[in-house]
Amino acid sequence: MKNRIMTVFGLLVVLSMVLAACGPAETATEAPAPTQPPQAQPTEVPPTPEPTPVPRTTRHGGWLDTITMVAVSPDAVVTQLQAGQIDLYASALGRAEDFKAAQEAGLQYNQVYGGAYELTFNPYGGGENGATFDQSTGKLNPFAVPAIREAMNMLVDRSYIVQEIYGGLAAPKFFPINSAFPDYALLADVARKLEAQYAYNPDKANEIITAEMEKLGATKDANGKWTFNGEPVTLIFIIRNDGDGTRLPIGDYVSNQLESIGFTVDRQYKTSSEASPIWIRGNPADGLWHLYTGGWITTAVSRDDGSNFQFYYTSKGLGQPLWQAYKPSAEFEALADKLAANDFTTLEERRELFAQALELAMKDSVRVWLVDQKAFSPFRQGISVTGDLAGGIQGAQLWGFTARYEGQEGGELKYAMSDLLVEPWNPVGGSNWVYDTAPKRATADYGVITDPFTGLAWPQRIESATVTVKEGLPVGKTLDWVNLEFVPEIQVPADAWVDWNAETQTFITAGEKYPEGLTALRKSVVTYPSSLFTDYKWHDGSTFSPADFVMWLIMQFDPGKEASPIFDEAAVSNLEFFLSNFKGVRITSTDPFTAEWYTDAYALDAELNVTTLWPEYGYGNAPWHMIAMGNLAEAAGELAYTADKADAKQVEWMSFIDGPSLEILGKYLDQAEAEKYIPYAPTLGQYITAEEAAARYANMKAWYAEHGHYWVNSGPYMLDKVFSVEKTLTLKNNENYIDLADKWARFAKPRVAEAEVDGEGRVTIGQEAVFDVFVTFEGEPYASADIAEVKYLLFNANGELAATGVAEAAGGEGQYTVTLPADVTSKLPAGSNKLEVVVVSKLVSIPTFAPFEFVTAP
Amino acid sequence: MSAETQALSPGQPIKVKRKAFSNTLSRVAKYTALRLVTLFVTVVIGIYLTILIANMGGYVDEILRGEIRERISVGVSNNPAFRDYTPEERSKYIDERVALEEERLGLNRPFAVRSFAFLRNALTLNLGRAINMTSDSGSKQVTLIILERLPSTLLLFGIANLALFFSSVFIALSLSRHYGSFWDKVILVLTPTSAAPPWFYGIFLILIFAALLKILPFGGMVDAPPPDNWFDYALSVLRHMILPSLALILASIFLSIYNWRTFFLIYSSEDYVEMAKAKGLNARDIERRYILRPTLPTIITSFALLLIGLWTGAIITETVFNWPGLGRTLFRAIGLYDTPVIVGLTIIYAYLLAITVFLLDIIYALVDPRVKVGGSGGGGA
Repeated sequence: MKNRIMTVFGLLVVLSMVLAACGPAETATEAPAPTQPPQAQPTEVPPTPEPTPVPRTTRHGGWLDTITMVAVSPDAVVTQLQAGQIDLYASALGRAEDFKAAQEAGLQYNQVYGGAYELTFNPYGGGENGATFDQSTGKLNPFAVPAIREAMNMLVDRSYIVQEIYGGLAAPKFFPINSAFPDYALLADVARKLEAQYAYNPDKANEIITAEMEKLGATKDANGKWTFNGEPVTLIFIIRNDGDGTRLPIGDYVSNQLESIGFTVDRQYKTSSEASPIWIRGNPADGLWHLYTGGWITTAVSRDDGSNFQFYYTSKGLGQPLWQAYKPSAEFEALADKLAANDFTTLEERRELFAQALELAMKDSVRVWLVDQKAFSPFRQGISVTGDLAGGIQGAQLWGFTARYEGQEGGELKYAMSDLLVEPWNPVGGSNWVYDTAPKRATADYGVITDPFTGLAWPQRIESATVTVKEGLPVGKTLDWVNLEFVPEIQVPADAWVDWNAETQTFITAGEKYPEGLTALRKSVVTYPSSLFTDYKWHDGSTFSPADFVMWLIMQFDPGKEASPIFDEAAVSNLEFFLSNFKGVRITSTDPFTAEWYTDAYALDAELNVTTLWPEYGYGNAPWHMIAMGNLAEAAGELAYTADKADAKQVEWMSFIDGPSLEILGKYLDQAEAEKYIPYAPTLGQYITAEEAAARYANMKAWYAEHGHYWVNSGPYMLDKVFSVEKTLTLKNNENYIDLADKWARFAKPRVAEAEVDGEGRVTIGQEAVFDVFVTFEGEPYASADIAEVKYLLFNANGELAATGVAEAAGGEGQYTVTLPADVTSKLPAGSNKLEVVVVSKLVSIPTFAPFEFVTAP
Repeated sequence: MSAETQALSPGQPIKVKRKAFSNTLSRVAKYTALRLVTLFVTVVIGIYLTILIANMGGYVDEILRGEIRERISVGVSNNPAFRDYTPEERSKYIDERVALEEERLGLNRPFAVRSFAFLRNALTLNLGRAINMTSDSGSKQVTLIILERLPSTLLLFGIANLALFFSSVFIALSLSRHYGSFWDKVILVLTPTSAAPPWFYGIFLILIFAALLKILPFGGMVDAPPPDNWFDYALSVLRHMILPSLALILASIFLSIYNWRTFFLIYSSEDYVEMAKAKGLNARDIERRYILRPTLPTIITSFALLLIGLWTGAIITETVFNWPGLGRTLFRAIGLYDTPVIVGLTIIYAYLLAITVFLLDIIYALVDPRVKVGGSGGGGA
């Protein structure tokens, strides 16, 4: 009996393990992807966001006392949030099951719009029919034919992908611009018209593809499969099976669609590393692939996507073999070039060019765009934090300024990301991983701060700014804080610094380098508050000084100069490029501190043309004495700022927070303190006294004694302790920070408009029809002053765009009226029509769409 | 194993004994030299194979070149700072950056040349610098990358595996004395549970003790932020070790006990054990002298291999528990094609294994009088 019981028990154990093992497999998370910094594009109406009424506070720095940052696997995020092990997950999650779990757990979340997926085609076409590969015995490449690529837009059901693969965490995408960014809002009417034109229509797609295939000489066999020269037309589809796992079902779905119209598909599932040598480096003419599941990430709101056409559709985009196979029409290429080079004079002209480019991009379709992903970053109830529309919480410059427990000052926040402390931190050439950038941002301060919802710039540590551009350049202004002027010519003053002499350690003036005179396309004049040099402190207690600005200026040049003791070969090409646009800098006053910047580079927004001298070194901010320590160690050949130089010299990659670097940096700090060392003395000697230098080094030593690292910044939080092996760090509130904690409170949440359309459900053909539009945010009327535009699009019963127009303000806040005149309704056939209202806000770049269906009858 | 066993025959004349001793010394020396050479050649072949496999015979160069160009090209194209330049200027800049990066990674030299440089560095224990990875503290030295993770690996896997080993051996010994008992049957029934890997149990343990009961942490090595004083720190580490240790032990203990129990049962039924029982020796003496003694080489071998096995960590278990161990380091190195780190971890393991195998040969001779090292003749025990 006992034996039987044991046998049954044993079988139950085995059975339970088998059942448990049959559960759904976990998928990996998305790998780091290329970043895209913000770009510029002016909006039409100057908005001035009204601050959300928040009770004033007396607290300085950040809202929280302590932030503990940890690394947590994405698989465990929701469970750990539920269990209270972490309070906030700043990386983005894209899986529908996680979103569902987060909603069920009652978690809050920020939405992240930066990811996009598409089908990349191999457009190479050779041979007599212009559609065969070279090296594969003349195999057919249907995607060499633009019409077939264009028809692919109608063969894929983007809504199916959004719902079935992304569980609603995505939006259909047709164009190379993000549907959450300003350019899409600007061109919403054009976009919607094209979206209707290229909507899912497999029969039409099949019809076009069949006609084109027959022109190429292909025929269908008895099984309905396409053949060419007696062999099946097999499409090699490289399907990525890594990342967030969504490209695999996309690949399978598209394969099914292609097979349904007679193609044979060879599905090759590959990781990024396996796929890269084939699709991006391989010769397209070899015919090793036909399609690839492409994916792109943008980590900041882009205000100017004009260069995307050149990048994604022309050979000028990249030097890779695939891009060299792109043969856009001459008209499309010219448009792409114009938009990339800002070769237009007015915003209206730009809009016209953009509209044409969108249409031609659909006709070209070397890529068929599928979805804009809407990932999310979850956090516990009662927490409020800024998330950048594209970069999420971890990519938001302002997260440290706004993170808080609602209705509470102080407290500890457990902030998690999928990784942390990935590479060494140094401001000149250290880690650029977002997992390291996120904590750095909370410790840093800025001259200007990027608006997380529009991509525009706001003044943070500057008093005023004036941008002067040459007449005829398409630069516009949106916000009140910047002055914009146009002049026929901008002369660079002879005493402006234009270059650096690394031997004499002095600046070279425009008069010396360009005795014949020098002009620039843009000039930016920035005045800084005088309190900056009296009340504003670095974390180690050192008072901010003009030397911090000038050190930053010197470091733009010195590492790229061969005569410099810190010469870095990797900095040479950077310097060359910088110098080819840079025209000069001039400090015109030290009280108040005022500096002019001359350059030929410009963005379309005046706000983004303000250049500050704020000591942001590219990989972190730093006071001059921190750079001085690093320079001494680098000059002595014991450490290197960049990974390239560290490898070339076989020395450690400099880290100010941990590792073997600390001992070396400490040695040079002692030396600097003993010598009262003034770096670049011939220049910085004018701004630093020996006593000031000694005081700064002493401050740094005291800081190290307390915190165990040399990362000194000036933001709302201080880097308190670093635990590298444990992958943890702590940030402490900077109580001496000059600003109150609520300064950026209005950016805690994006005010994405909600819209509702109301009106008669039945309209008589030939009679005027009026519809009411109500724009709200969280149930309250949306201030009309914050709404840039309310447009409408009218689609008739055949799905064709029948009319577009602008809604009129109806008096009340957020209330608008759409009037369809009699001559418009008279052209509508009887049936069901759709009125789609587009609300464009000044506060958030995401447009809001509100549909309303009505029937027309005689 | 070339060691052979020979029955001892006491009472031989002294002359014969001296000659025999001299012969033994010569035989041992010859055997040692040959064994060392064999092991070294094995290590060389093993390491070179590792280098070839880790680099896919050189194809990884192509992958890396692709990744470098893609990363730099996309970065430049998306950077508004480069927008005012012509496509040709951008291409020139990209080419320069790509060339620098390829030079930094050594891709400008043929893989065959680099593979022998990797081998030479490995054999001389010059672990050098990682290609892409950095240690937790930010160093690119492979030695530091490994050393920073070693304590946490040894701590977790050392404690768990030692507990597993000794408890298995002693429970098995006890069960072998009570063959067919209730507990013997319980172990028998639970043995299939060892088919599941540690991380499988880890997920359940996390769900029960961390998510549901909230009495133990989800993972990590220590609380965040880590306690300031060492005592609290140690307590915190111990608390974080409970679940991963339990997972490691649960996943193996029943099978391990079953194996050892069967092993001991075989030795328990040997004729000389039966003879000892018949002679009326007490059970403890029989266990110690007639069962444990002859099984000692196997136990020592198993123990020695367990110790060096700690070096490799456990990739998925460490990932599930977010434990900063060498398994994850190796996993990351493989993902990044960081050959110096892969080779560094492998060469140390290879040397440890070779040394262990070599020492075991000697230890066998010491612990088991039946074993003779390097003998060409003789019979078995």
